[in-house]
Amino acid sequence: MIYEESMKIYHFIHILSVCLFILFGLPENSWALQSHSAPEGIYVHQMAHLLFMGALGYLYWHTRKSPAIKSKGWKYLQIFCFFLIAWNLIAFTGHQAFGQLTPADFIDKSSWKEQLAPPITWIKVLYYFTKMDHFLNVPGLFALVISLRTFYHEALMEENR
Amino acid sequence: MNGIPLLPAVTVEFVGSALAIFFSFLALRYAWSLVRLQPSNFIWGFLFYFCIAMAAFSLSRGVGHMVRIILVYSDQSDLWKQLSPISGGFNTMLMISVAAVIIYYHKGLAAYKLIRKEAVKLFNANTQLASSADQLKELNIHLEEMVEIRTRNLSESEKKFRNFFENSKDIIYFCDKNGTITNINNSGINLLGFDVPFQQVNFHDLFTDRKDLDAYLLSLRKNGFISDFEIECTGTNKATKHILLTANAIYDKNGHFIGCEGIGKDMTRLRNMTEQLINQEKMASVGQMAAGVAHEINTPLGIILGYTQLMMDDFEEESEAHSSLLVMERQTKACRRIVADLLKFSRQADSAKTSIDINTIIGEVLAVTEHTLNINQVDIIRNFCEELPQVVGDAEKLHQVFINLFNNAQFAMVNGGKIFITTKQLGSEVLITVQDTGTGIPNDIKNKIFDPFFTTKDVGKGTGLGLSVTYGIIKDHGGRITVESPVIDLNSTVTVQGTAFHIWLPTKAILSDDDREQH
Repeated sequence: MIYEESMKIYHFIHILSVCLFILFGLPENSWALQSHSAPEGIYVHQMAHLLFMGALGYLYWHTRKSPAIKSKGWKYLQIFCFFLIAWNLIAFTGHQAFGQLTPADFIDKSSWKEQLAPPITWIKVLYYFTKMDHFLNVPGLFALVISLRTFYHEALMEENR
Repeated sequence: MNGIPLLPAVTVEFVGSALAIFFSFLALRYAWSLVRLQPSNFIWGFLFYFCIAMAAFSLSRGVGHMVRIILVYSDQSDLWKQLSPISGGFNTMLMISVAAVIIYYHKGLAAYKLIRKEAVKLFNANTQLASSADQLKELNIHLEEMVEIRTRNLSESEKKFRNFFENSKDIIYFCDKNGTITNINNSGINLLGFDVPFQQVNFHDLFTDRKDLDAYLLSLRKNGFISDFEIECTGTNKATKHILLTANAIYDKNGHFIGCEGIGKDMTRLRNMTEQLINQEKMASVGQMAAGVAHEINTPLGIILGYTQLMMDDFEEESEAHSSLLVMERQTKACRRIVADLLKFSRQADSAKTSIDINTIIGEVLAVTEHTLNINQVDIIRNFCEELPQVVGDAEKLHQVFINLFNNAQFAMVNGGKIFITTKQLGSEVLITVQDTGTGIPNDIKNKIFDPFFTTKDVGKGTGLGLSVTYGIIKDHGGRITVESPVIDLNSTVTVQGTAFHIWLPTKAILSDDDREQH
């Protein structure tokens, strides 16, 4: 029995060594590996915003329609979803707006006096407001805190009962 | 034209990032508390993971923003350029993570709801079970109390009825449908004289008259009961009892007759007393009639006898006419003797009462009759009381009483036997018992033996006045006479063949008291 087990391990190590040699010893033949160009990062990030927004939308919709979850905490969670969806939308827009700007659109770059250079276009105004996306993000997270705090107090009361 | 300063936006960004980190970790802390409080709750689990992802995302994004502001405005933009892709990558990855956790929530919640539904069902079932268990427990406690109360009541009731059953002086019996006694009280056993276990006795066999049994069974089957039905029973010891019977049929749940239960009252003594009373009335009537008849006949008989004796003087003694007159004289005297007996029975004859000793009277009679009795193989057994008080009576008449009784006893013992003569004092009376071991007196004639002219002897061998005269003499002495046949031995309670005459006579002391009261 012990001999048979030893033989199996030996064969496995042998096959693994061959595979590793093919992968790393002959890289010019590895066609499966794909290169990632510069804009891919922002695309993925924007897609992540859309995914996050969709997921939050689903959560909002489900917590509204589900009769199984009736609590004030869910109302706060729905507010959180609402703010975060709005934040995602603003952030997405901000990223898109930033993509439209050039370095020439900024004055005194990398200093406390940094400004958006005139003339003031609507894309610059849009970028300026979307830059203050925390006005949506922070209230959203505050709603999440209130929501969880409500859940906690309710659960505590239930346990004490 | 001025540009738009970015400082306010940067400030909001910096402070907002810090607040976002703070709130996301505060939310995580509540989520953690919830999970610790109710670890089995899926929703808290989901919110916990969601908060972890949100906290990680807020931290990554917030720190990224803050580091960017610090580096850029401290003239280290090159360093930020190196860190920027990493920070952006983290942000993207964690945002996707938060979305993934939310998507995972969909399936998880469905499973949780299913489990929760089952748990609620289980909880309800458990609650119901607990409630049922409580109810059952309460019922059980009450049941025990109820059973205890019922058992106590039942026990008291059973005791009450058992006492009634055992202590009743009447017969209480239970029979199956065939008449076999299934239970009977002690009074029943004693009255009916069972000498075998009652389970071996069939109640129907105790009926002396078959017609009574048929009527009893018919009424039970037809009406379901029988009330105040007088029967004559012969116990297993052959003693006859008169029972007043009331019984009910017992049916099973299908309405089939399965037996009966009944109460029987012993009417023997009452019946005997009634018969004695009737007999006494009858005797009194017959006595009056006999006295009248005797008086009416006595005078013509005296005249016939006188004239017969006068005529006899007119004829020669050897003549045929004299012989005929002699027969007439003899028969007339016989008639006078009968008339005298009738007068004695009706207590119309003259009586000379003195203070006498019954033992002496019996002794005098035996002195004359014992020899003849012995010849007829009849032995006399004397059980005389030495200290017997005296009675007031006519010695001659009492002689005749005992002669009559001894003659009857001898007649009943053709092949010999014994006569037991017992005298004793019972309170204010003297009891004389003359008991023979003869054939006994059948029940159907027992009530007729004191009637005048009633005899079982052949024609010409007896007038049927012996016991009538005896009865009249005893009554004349203020006493009473009864007959017992067959005889129950008082010592062993065994029934023996034969006949016993019991005579009660008042003592002299009682009569003297009565006389004093009259004066």
